[in-house]
Amino acid sequence: MTTNNDNKAGAPGWLSAFRAHAAEHSTRWIAAVIGLVLAALVLPPVWYLVQGSLVETTVTGAAGDFTFAHYRKLAEGERLAASLVNSVIFALGSAVVALLFGGVLAWVVERTNAPFKILAYLTTIISLGTPYVLYVTAWLFLLGKVGPVNDIYRAITGSNGVLINVHSMSGMVLIEGMLWSPLVFLLLSATLRTSNPEFEEAARMSGASVWDTIRRITVRLALPAVMALVLLVFIRAFEGFEVPALVGLPGRVNVVTTDIFLALKDTVPPDAGRASAFSVVLLGVVAVLLAFYNRISRSAERFHTVTGKGFRARPFDLGRGRWIAGGVIVVNFLFVLVLPNMVLLWASILPFFQAFRWKAVATFTLENYRAVLNSPFYLELVWNTLLLAAASATVVMVLTLFVGWLAARRKPGGWALDQLATMPLIFPGIVLGTAVMQIYLALPIPIYGTLWIILIAYVIRYLPYGMRYSYSGMLQIHRELEEAAGMSGAGNLVILRRIVLPLLAPAVASGWLFIFLLASRVLSLPILLAGPNSQTIAVAMYDMWTNGQGTELAAMGLLWTAIMTAIASAFYFLSRRSGAGVYGN
Amino acid sequence: MLVVDGLTKLYANATDAIAGGIRDATFTLEAGTFFTLLGPSGCGKTTTLRCIAGLELPDAGVVRLCERVLFDKAGGIAVPMNRRDIGMVFQSYAIWPHMTVFENVAFPLQVSKDVRYDTADVGARVQKALDTVDLGGYGNRPATRLSGGEQQRVALARAIVREPQLLLLDEPLSNLDAHLREEMRIELKRLQRQTGITTVYVTHDQSEALSMSDRIAVIEKGRIVQMDTPEAIYYRPRTAFVAGFVGVTNMVAGTADSPARAGATVAVRLSSGERVLCQAVDDLPAGGGISVSIRPENVRLERRGAGSDAAGGGQSLLHGRVDQASFQGQSRRYDVQVGGWRLMVLADPMTRFAPGDEVTLRLDAANTIALPTNGAAGT
Repeated sequence: MTTNNDNKAGAPGWLSAFRAHAAEHSTRWIAAVIGLVLAALVLPPVWYLVQGSLVETTVTGAAGDFTFAHYRKLAEGERLAASLVNSVIFALGSAVVALLFGGVLAWVVERTNAPFKILAYLTTIISLGTPYVLYVTAWLFLLGKVGPVNDIYRAITGSNGVLINVHSMSGMVLIEGMLWSPLVFLLLSATLRTSNPEFEEAARMSGASVWDTIRRITVRLALPAVMALVLLVFIRAFEGFEVPALVGLPGRVNVVTTDIFLALKDTVPPDAGRASAFSVVLLGVVAVLLAFYNRISRSAERFHTVTGKGFRARPFDLGRGRWIAGGVIVVNFLFVLVLPNMVLLWASILPFFQAFRWKAVATFTLENYRAVLNSPFYLELVWNTLLLAAASATVVMVLTLFVGWLAARRKPGGWALDQLATMPLIFPGIVLGTAVMQIYLALPIPIYGTLWIILIAYVIRYLPYGMRYSYSGMLQIHRELEEAAGMSGAGNLVILRRIVLPLLAPAVASGWLFIFLLASRVLSLPILLAGPNSQTIAVAMYDMWTNGQGTELAAMGLLWTAIMTAIASAFYFLSRRSGAGVYGN
Repeated sequence: MLVVDGLTKLYANATDAIAGGIRDATFTLEAGTFFTLLGPSGCGKTTTLRCIAGLELPDAGVVRLCERVLFDKAGGIAVPMNRRDIGMVFQSYAIWPHMTVFENVAFPLQVSKDVRYDTADVGARVQKALDTVDLGGYGNRPATRLSGGEQQRVALARAIVREPQLLLLDEPLSNLDAHLREEMRIELKRLQRQTGITTVYVTHDQSEALSMSDRIAVIEKGRIVQMDTPEAIYYRPRTAFVAGFVGVTNMVAGTADSPARAGATVAVRLSSGERVLCQAVDDLPAGGGISVSIRPENVRLERRGAGSDAAGGGQSLLHGRVDQASFQGQSRRYDVQVGGWRLMVLADPMTRFAPGDEVTLRLDAANTIALPTNGAAGT
């Protein structure tokens, strides 16, 4: 941000000369200014991570002598290997669970005549607005020791044990998989919707049965897209933090992201070198996986033959089977939406969490809601969270509006800016948090522990998402619309303001809302960066859970979810209209 | 007056081979000329237009409009497109969907830097432009509620509202259906006459080019191969490519008996043995390969033995047998077997020859064009 100001502030003496020059070469100036801002945001984290992992950690945070000790310790200790293996198992399992739930649902909703389709969309919209922390705690309530699942098991078998120990790898996989299934549903149903139905119709005309068509045409055509999705969920779970922290840590199931967190938060003094070394390893793995992902998803796009004729695939008639398919939708609706929210509602009206019993009804109380609504602290949390989300979404969309334009129109510097803006994709949230923390501890700018540092981290994190919206939005604008304005006598800035901006508005708006939703629920960044006065809802929820204030958390979470669901609905309808894709998260 | 001199803009493909563009385009247009760049897709005609517009930066050359240098590679001058004051109609029309018809047409006046227009002036000029294209009452119509033909007219109004000295049209009729295209062709020509604006028109449709232009430049693979009036392009093509691309023609191989100067009548021996009198458009060396171009409508058919079988001055006679006959409405098409080759003939629809009829074909030397086979006749 600072470079931005430095660059814009000009001495009045040469200001007019600057203006004349800027008008003549406006694209170059835009590219140069945006490029400086992006470079200042994106490049230091990489540099500081690599440097931090290669110098001795000092008490003051200043750089010590060069050393390979952090890596050597990582390699010698069994922690790295064990954590990496855990991360891989966790990510792979989650991807499979998410694909199973989301994939079957997408096919049923998009390609069959099953009833209750509206429930699938409802589930997706509300889960877009639910903070992961809240979602995870709901599942912990459900599957926990005194939760209804184990409670019923005990009632049936009469034993004192548990059916599921939720604080285990299988618990983590199940919850993370559930967490991602709405995204798989969203992306896969888009793929199924835009694929050319003529491929399937040709198979049917050639005499293939419904089953043969699905097996030999539909699945084969969707395979690259499905593989890309599996990899995407794998990457996201690999770098995920919420589930490993809330579910895995109490059961001592550590993955790479929680190891980084522990090195910084549970060690005194914080072992920044160890965290950096861990981060560089994670960064490398994610970068390689993302490269793979890009290759796979490119080949997936080749099958996207959009005919432009506006055909929609005729849904398969499942006959009586449609009620089974409808059952799949209802079960998904129950598992992903109703059960977690029911248990939250139950918890929120109890003074402390108890199993589902009639006698608990006697203790029903609105005290939790009263506490949440009356507390100025919660009000501040809401304000902080919304402010950060809105500010980061605005900054990102303004930056990517220019970058998307420069890149899509192949202006000088456009390619490089595109690369810069897309680069943060390789940062897992916890890694980016570590890096940003170190930078601003080392720099003499007093923003550590304030909202500013969180804002900077959010902007870096969500730049690629903004790019995705701006860039694909730009590609849908015929370039002759701009050329016509140029021939009419308009300069670049006028073209941007009067032609590009109004036409890009729907894409920018849905990008803004998407980032707003992501930023309002993210935990991994603010948990490392937030100070006492710059807490966000997600961090507070995490603290409440670890402090055992579960019932108050449930009350606050439900109220928050209601607000966010309204915003998520707006996003959903906007993005269906503008048709932009999402990376997922 | 538009002067284009040595304009070159080449595109390289992935392996650095030349993949398209224009080389050394040179022409001068008097004020008020309707000039057409004609050629197949990918020949470089649109590149030429975009270089004049300032949408592309040429590799070399000079572009001058009424003594104002717009581009000069050697002199280091490149006026940006928004300062060139040129009207342009795009292939997609590029009507901004978020504005009304009025706002679309008023845009060039509103963003003008060199001349300031006040609100009343803008209103009057937009009204005049809309009236010119017969869209007088359309000002408040949203741009999204226009038919293809109306969009085209709005694009035209927007291009002429500043009364520029040059109008560029990039295949403006290609998005219209056949019927509307015919109508707009006449409309465009009327408009150009009325405003007297110098116009450069790009098309791959030879009938559009012939019917609208004062002058046509035929472009083949990035080079202007012939530049002339429509009649000259049609009747005096200078290469086999021009003869084949503009209109329909019969190409017959042969050799010249003697060298010939441009414009002279020369006897050509066809590969099947017949001799025909041809007109040489360029100098022809003796013994070189010749392609003879015979337009189907320039052949007169007579029943063998019915008329006088004597050739008049400057005429040649060939004998053949009708192979196929088909009625086409405005004309009747005959495919005639002459020696070892077939000749397409378009004749009056009232003629009645049947397949198998023996016929005499009468050719005028003036309309039988001898071209060097290698097509190396430069411009």
